[in-house]
Amino acid sequence: MEANILSWIVFVPLIGTALILLLPKSAINAVKGVSVIATAIPLVLATWMYFGLFEMGTAKYQFVENVPWIKALGANYFIGIDGLSLALVWLTALLLFIGVIASFGIEKAGKAYYALLLLLEVGISGVFVSLDFFLFYVFWEVMLLPMYFLIGIWGGPRREYAAIKFFLYTLAGSMLMLVALVALRLDGNTFSIPRLVELAAAGSLTGANLPLHGHLLGMQFTTWIFWFLFIGFAIKVPVFPFHTWLPDAHVQAPTPISVILAGILLKLGGYGMLRACFPLVPTAFNQFAFALAVLGVISIVYGAFVALGQTDFKRMVAYSSVSHMGYVLLGMAALTYWGTSGAVLQMFNHGTSSAALFLIVGVIYDRAHHRDLNGFGGLAQVQKRYWALTTLGFFAALGLPGLAGFVSEAMTLVGAYGASDTRFQTMVLISTLGIVFTAAFLLWAMQRIFLGNLNEKYKSLPDINARETFCQAPLLFLCVALGIAPWFLLDYMEPSVRNLVDLLAAAH
Amino acid sequence: MTNSYLDGLSALAPEVCLTVTALAVLVLDLVQQGRDSRRVGWLSLAGLAVTAWLLWGQWGQQSQVVFGMVVVDQFANFFKLFTVLSLAVVVVFVMNDRRERKDGIGEYYFLLLGAAIGAFFMVGTNNLLLMVLALELLSLSSYSLAGFHKNERRSAEASMKYVIFGGLSTGIMVYGVSLLYGLTGTIDLARMGTSDGTGAVVGLVGQLGTSPVPVAIAIVMVLAGFAYKVSIAPFHFWTPDVYEGAPTPVTTFLAVGSKAAGFGALLRFLGALFLRDGVQQVVADYGDRIGLLLGILAAVTMTIGNLAALRQTSLKRMLAYSSIAHAGYVLIGLACMTPAGFSAAMYYLAAYYFMNLGAFGFLLYFEGVTGKSTIDSLKGMGPRAPLISVAMVAFLISLTGLPPTVGFYGKYLLFLEGWRSGFAWLLVIAGANTVLSLFYYFRVAKALFLSDASEREVRPQPWFVGFVTALSVCTILLGIYTTPLQEWARRSLDLLASL
Repeated sequence: MEANILSWIVFVPLIGTALILLLPKSAINAVKGVSVIATAIPLVLATWMYFGLFEMGTAKYQFVENVPWIKALGANYFIGIDGLSLALVWLTALLLFIGVIASFGIEKAGKAYYALLLLLEVGISGVFVSLDFFLFYVFWEVMLLPMYFLIGIWGGPRREYAAIKFFLYTLAGSMLMLVALVALRLDGNTFSIPRLVELAAAGSLTGANLPLHGHLLGMQFTTWIFWFLFIGFAIKVPVFPFHTWLPDAHVQAPTPISVILAGILLKLGGYGMLRACFPLVPTAFNQFAFALAVLGVISIVYGAFVALGQTDFKRMVAYSSVSHMGYVLLGMAALTYWGTSGAVLQMFNHGTSSAALFLIVGVIYDRAHHRDLNGFGGLAQVQKRYWALTTLGFFAALGLPGLAGFVSEAMTLVGAYGASDTRFQTMVLISTLGIVFTAAFLLWAMQRIFLGNLNEKYKSLPDINARETFCQAPLLFLCVALGIAPWFLLDYMEPSVRNLVDLLAAAH
Repeated sequence: MTNSYLDGLSALAPEVCLTVTALAVLVLDLVQQGRDSRRVGWLSLAGLAVTAWLLWGQWGQQSQVVFGMVVVDQFANFFKLFTVLSLAVVVVFVMNDRRERKDGIGEYYFLLLGAAIGAFFMVGTNNLLLMVLALELLSLSSYSLAGFHKNERRSAEASMKYVIFGGLSTGIMVYGVSLLYGLTGTIDLARMGTSDGTGAVVGLVGQLGTSPVPVAIAIVMVLAGFAYKVSIAPFHFWTPDVYEGAPTPVTTFLAVGSKAAGFGALLRFLGALFLRDGVQQVVADYGDRIGLLLGILAAVTMTIGNLAALRQTSLKRMLAYSSIAHAGYVLIGLACMTPAGFSAAMYYLAAYYFMNLGAFGFLLYFEGVTGKSTIDSLKGMGPRAPLISVAMVAFLISLTGLPPTVGFYGKYLLFLEGWRSGFAWLLVIAGANTVLSLFYYFRVAKALFLSDASEREVRPQPWFVGFVTALSVCTILLGIYTTPLQEWARRSLDLLASL
């Protein structure tokens, strides 16, 4: 069990899916029970792995399983984790568990809903543990279909549009990824990501084995591969200008799906860049790092600025994700230890804080049946506990010192400031605008919802209930805990991050 | 080689079996005078089963009969089996088609079997003249089949368009063949490609140096005939109208069986001319140029097919355009002009078999339920008929080319070989097309599951639903259980070596 713990984490939900499909339609409670168990087991295993089994202080891959899968294609079932993926695997298990619990309130939900949710978990955790590019790609695509149906069937009024938009955007990215994947396979003669990274580091992954001899339409082969992979992942992050699917998907998706979408799906993009884009084409990454930083800063400022203009609570939170994920890109582009580990930490922290924010939106939407920020007022008087939790969530999101978001944002900014390319310093200065905007829209939203005169309509609005609090609690706890003790994550990822940064810097 | 044509005639046993079945079908229909049309279907299926068994027995054989005009080799065997298996599915469709008229059912089966005989000879010859004749046999049967609902205007119109377009295209092709014969001195593809340029048979090599333009014109004209058969742009205009007007089982046969046979003949034509052992360098180089032409056609074809499919409101018409787009994808493999590229194209056709037959089976089922073939009529039917609808989603994923389905591996192999042959630009276009195609394929999924549930009653057809579901299980299973894929990769090159 310890040796193949990752396989258990990935495939237990699949067993859950199969069980759910076997249950009769009417046994909805049994379906919920199976879902809870099928997401709780990976969470327990991942926690055990995190605190009990994972060996710190090394950059090597752990819990590796490598068995031939499709010999004809040279694809292997090659999985394993290192410091970069450890925390994200755990976060996946946590958020899916919370997602299932948060789904109990959805009336339309039945067998199909929970089956798809569990299938989604298989896809997501599969991506995080894959070390074989082909396997990575297969998992990457596997998660699209459940998401499409989860948004499309259980979403809001414009769900059909949002669902297909999500699907099309991601598929456009993954097609570029497929083209790059095939090229890398042909050039490096392997799908193994560690092996491809080695080849790239040795400077032999330049398309020389392909008929184009390293050039295509006047551009370097590696440049093409870099942009293909980058755009594929950037759509998922989402980086400006590929972000337009996100507000629609978020607004239309039911609350638990928004939680998962913001909490983990976006991280797949950032993680993908670190695992399967930058180290495979390090020279091209160095060449375009500044361009990435610019995109990151635009995302930070633009996302926050647009969030300021939203009247829909959920749409505002969605745009705040664009802004927060911009830090990830900025930090990674800086190519410093602080920047990159800040980026990974920011991914994790955004996973908890944005998930908490979407849950918060869900709570008020379930009660008031609308999300218009201007339609509330004075709710602090009737929903005391809800107000307290929201305040904590908002402060975590705006990066109040002492809370998790502050640490990671500060780390990315400090890291970016220290980049060898001095133009990064200007970028950091510009990005501080984003911090101002973020504080502005969050505080303004808080004022409109909770402060002022109580809206008479909501005089008897019930406060947050036990189940909702239960979902919130671990997320907000993490926001506080990692603000005080960020080394709980940083220590685990340090060797891997250092290794990655050295590798990328060496190709400069 | 001896001089009698009866020698080695046993190698033609599958063809003979098909012919006998076709005649037996006519007789049975005559005898029972349309009382039980299913019995005729069962007889056809039995005949096809025997044919398939005979083909299986021939696997690995290599011989030439009737003065070398008919070739029996693994390559032909693959496409013959493909034809038989797709025809078998079509026969099942006919037997389950609720809208089928019951009179003249004997002719219906007879024509289908006749088309299959044409397909058999088309893929099993190196002789251009026989290839054209076989193509005509396939086409003539198809014309009548397309117009089989003679009282329906659309069906009649489809048939008419098909005849005119087909006649024109084959005319061009025959002219091209005559030019090739005049230039090279032979109509045997094998000798045309490998001749040393001296003597009576000068072959391609003898002409490429002195008169490249006539050779180019001749080859392009021959390609036009194939392009029409497999609906490659700009010879695709007949496809949507014919596919829409023809009875659904016939459309299925045209989209799968007939198209595969067309590709089989095209692959043989290209392979024998340019890829054969002993082909001179100058001929092989010329083949690469033809490959570039095919690459451009691939890009145009898939883009036209997908763009047009976007706007369709009828599922049947959408599938017609989608089949044009898929012809474009298959062409990527042909454009590579390598045995591995051809092998990828053939794997894609095999993948296409499952997913497209399944999609047409779904269409047939819902035509029986709603009497319409529009996508709107499917609204909210997902929860009403869950099994076949989920199966359809599997086909749609596979048609789009997403894992874990057989369609994904097909597309992956094409991309792999495309890169290997330097067609990176084509792959980007193919990727963009995949995204386009998702949009219209998932309009079906959207109608089925995302719209509010329909109140319409669904008449149960458990056997047929089971049949279509089985196809979807194959679509998924071949995406996960990949041993067949591996076997294919290992063996297909031998298959092509026999060309």
